[in-house]
Amino acid sequence: MQTSPIIDFFLHQGVPFETVILILMLPIIATFIAFLRQVVGIKAFGIYAPLIVTFAFLATNGLKYGIAIFVTVIFTGMLMRFVLKPFRLLYLPRVALMLTAVAILILGVLVIGGEFRRTGLAAVSIFPILIMITIVEKFVAVQIEKGDLAAIKLAIETLIISIVGFFIASSHTLINFLALYPWIVLLTIPINIMLGKWTGLRVSEYFRFHKIMKNL
Amino acid sequence: MFEFFKLNRQILGMNCRNLEYIRPFNRSRAKKLADNKLLSKKILKKNNISVPKLLAKISSLQELENFNWQSLPESFALKPNRGFGGEGILVVYGKKKDINDTWIKADRTLISIEDLKTHIRNILDGSFSLSGTPDIAFFEERLQLLKLFKPYCYKGIPDIRVIVFNKVPLMAMLRLPTKASSGKANLQQGAIGVGIDIATGTTTTAVLGKNKMIDYIPGTRLLLSGIKIPYWNDILKLSVRAQEISNLGFLGADIAIDKINGPTIIELNARPGLSIQIANLSGLKRRLEKVKDLKIKTIEKGVRVGKDLFGGEIEEELEEISGRRVIGTVEKVKLIGKDGQEIEVEAKIDTGAYSTSIDVELAKQLGFEDVLNYFSTLDLPKDFSREEVKQIEEDLRKKYIGQHSDLADITAVYSSHGVSIRPKISLKIILDNIEIFTQVNITERKELNKEMIIGKKNLGKFLIDVNK
Repeated sequence: MQTSPIIDFFLHQGVPFETVILILMLPIIATFIAFLRQVVGIKAFGIYAPLIVTFAFLATNGLKYGIAIFVTVIFTGMLMRFVLKPFRLLYLPRVALMLTAVAILILGVLVIGGEFRRTGLAAVSIFPILIMITIVEKFVAVQIEKGDLAAIKLAIETLIISIVGFFIASSHTLINFLALYPWIVLLTIPINIMLGKWTGLRVSEYFRFHKIMKNL
Repeated sequence: MFEFFKLNRQILGMNCRNLEYIRPFNRSRAKKLADNKLLSKKILKKNNISVPKLLAKISSLQELENFNWQSLPESFALKPNRGFGGEGILVVYGKKKDINDTWIKADRTLISIEDLKTHIRNILDGSFSLSGTPDIAFFEERLQLLKLFKPYCYKGIPDIRVIVFNKVPLMAMLRLPTKASSGKANLQQGAIGVGIDIATGTTTTAVLGKNKMIDYIPGTRLLLSGIKIPYWNDILKLSVRAQEISNLGFLGADIAIDKINGPTIIELNARPGLSIQIANLSGLKRRLEKVKDLKIKTIEKGVRVGKDLFGGEIEEELEEISGRRVIGTVEKVKLIGKDGQEIEVEAKIDTGAYSTSIDVELAKQLGFEDVLNYFSTLDLPKDFSREEVKQIEEDLRKKYIGQHSDLADITAVYSSHGVSIRPKISLKIILDNIEIFTQVNITERKELNKEMIIGKKNLGKFLIDVNK
C-alpha cells in the first residue's frame, strides 16, 4: 500500500498502522456526527456516545457482535427501569444496579454465544464491551429527563449513527486515501466552523414544522 | 423547494435559536437566574411581582430530618430548585382526614411523610437536575385554578407561555395539562398547546403533544379556539416586566392565573421551546427580526408594539365575515367642523345611549358657538313630567327649527340626571376610517371623562369589543 511520508514516519517510530488510521478517523467520524446533528437533526446521545460506540464496533470482531452487545445493554436498561421503579432508589445506586444487571446479562450473552459455537462473540475484547456498558448511564439520564420513548428513540439513533460510522471508518477506499493524504483530516476544521455557524432549519425541523407551511 | 425556503425564512429552528438569540441575548448570569427557581422567585418578589409563595425549603439531609411537617398546609407543591421539563414536581391537593400526616395527590393516591422524604432525598441527590449535581427541594403554595379553565384541564393548572424579545411580546400559547401529561403543562409530555392572538388574548389553533393539530379537547366537544384569556393585558405587561428584571433578552415567561392573586409568574425560561410556533401556526423568526432593531423604553410601548405587529388576525377575520369593523369602548374620532377644521378626540363608545353627543366646549371649537348662543336665549320649559316630553319636543321643534341655520333639531335626552333638552347639529365624524354624517346633540360634559360619546344610532356598522 502506498503511504504518505508522515505516515511512514509514524510507522518507523513504531506506531501501528491501524492505530494511526483509527486516530485519523476520529475527527472525520466526529464531524460526520456533528453534521447529522446540526443539518439533519439526528440527536443520538450527544457526540461522545455514538463516536465511542462506532469505535467499539470497529474493535469488536464484526459488526453483528457489536450490535448484539449494544442491544443487550439498552434492553437491560429498559428492563431494569421497570424492575427498580418501585424501590425508589437514588440516582447513583440505581445506575450502579443497572450496570450490575448489564454486566451479568452480557456475561450470559457471551456464554450463550460460546454454546452456539459463536466463538467470535466470546473473543470480543473486554474494552469495547466496557465502553458499551457505560452507555447505560446516558440511557438512564435521558429516561429520567424525557421518558422511555425518547430514550429508546435516541438509543436507536445512536445505533444507526454508529453503524454508518462503522462503515465509513472501515471503508477501504477511505483508509487508503487517508494513508496517502493524511492532511485531508485538517479539512474537518473549516467544515466544523461552518457547521458551528449554521443557522438554517434542520431537515428534521422541516418535518416538524411542515404544518405551519400551509399557513404562511 | 421554494416553499422550503419560505419555511426557512420564517420558522425559528434550533440552530438559529441557540446561535443568534440565546447566545448573544441571554448572558450566563441571566441564565443562571432563570435556572434557579428559588433565586428568580426571590428577585421577582423583590420587584413586587406575584409569584407562588415559598413555604419552606430543604437544602440538606439534616434539614430534612429536622423538618417540621406540621408547618405544611393542606395543599402545596414540592419542587426541585433546578428541575427541568416539569420533572420532579409533586403536587398535593389536600390532607387525608382520618389518617395523620398523609396527603392526597392529583390522582387521588395517598402520600405519606415517608414518601415525601424519599422524594426529597432524590431531589437533594440531584436526580432531577440532569447534570446530577446536588439540589435544593422547596415547598410552595399551590395556585388555585380559575373557574374558566376548569373544564379544559385534566388536574394540574394551565399556564401561559409568552415569548418576549427586546421588550416586545412576540407569541403566546396556553398550555393545558392532559391525562397523558399527568397534569403537567409540558407539550413534550403530551399537554395541549393553544395559540393565542397577541392583540386580543383569544385562543386560535391548538396542538396536542408535539405535532397533532386538534380543534377540540380529545374526547369532548369543548372547542379550543375562541377562549378569552382573562387579564390579557396584565399578562403581557407582566411578561415584559419579567424580561426587564431578569435581563434575559430572549425570554419564555410562564404565567399562571391564580384565582386570588391573578397573573402569577411561575417560571422564567432561558431556552424556550419551539413548539409554540406549531400551536400558533406561525413562525417566530420573522417576528424576532422585525423587533430586533426597535428601541423600546416603556413596558406599555412594548406591549402595544407586540399587539400591533403580531396580533389582529382574528379581528380581521371577524371583520371579513361580518363586514363590520371591530372597535373598542374608547376610540379616536375625527370631527369635521363647520369650516372644515378637523379635531381629533377620544370618544366613549356607549351602547347604552341612543344618540351621539359632544361637549359644549368641543362644539364651540368646531364653530358652533353661534348656534349655542342662540339656543341659550330660547325659552325652554323647566319642570315637566315624562308624559309631557313628547309634546314639548314637538312644540319646540315647530317653534324654533329653521330659525337658525345650524340648529338641526331639538331633542329631549334621558340621562342619569333626568331629562334634558339639547340642541342638535349636523356633523361629519370619521370613526375607524368610516365617514358618518349624523346629527349630534350638545351638552355639558365637562365633568365627564370623555368629551364625546357615540351612541347606538351611529354604531350600526361596527362590532364592539369590550376588551380592546
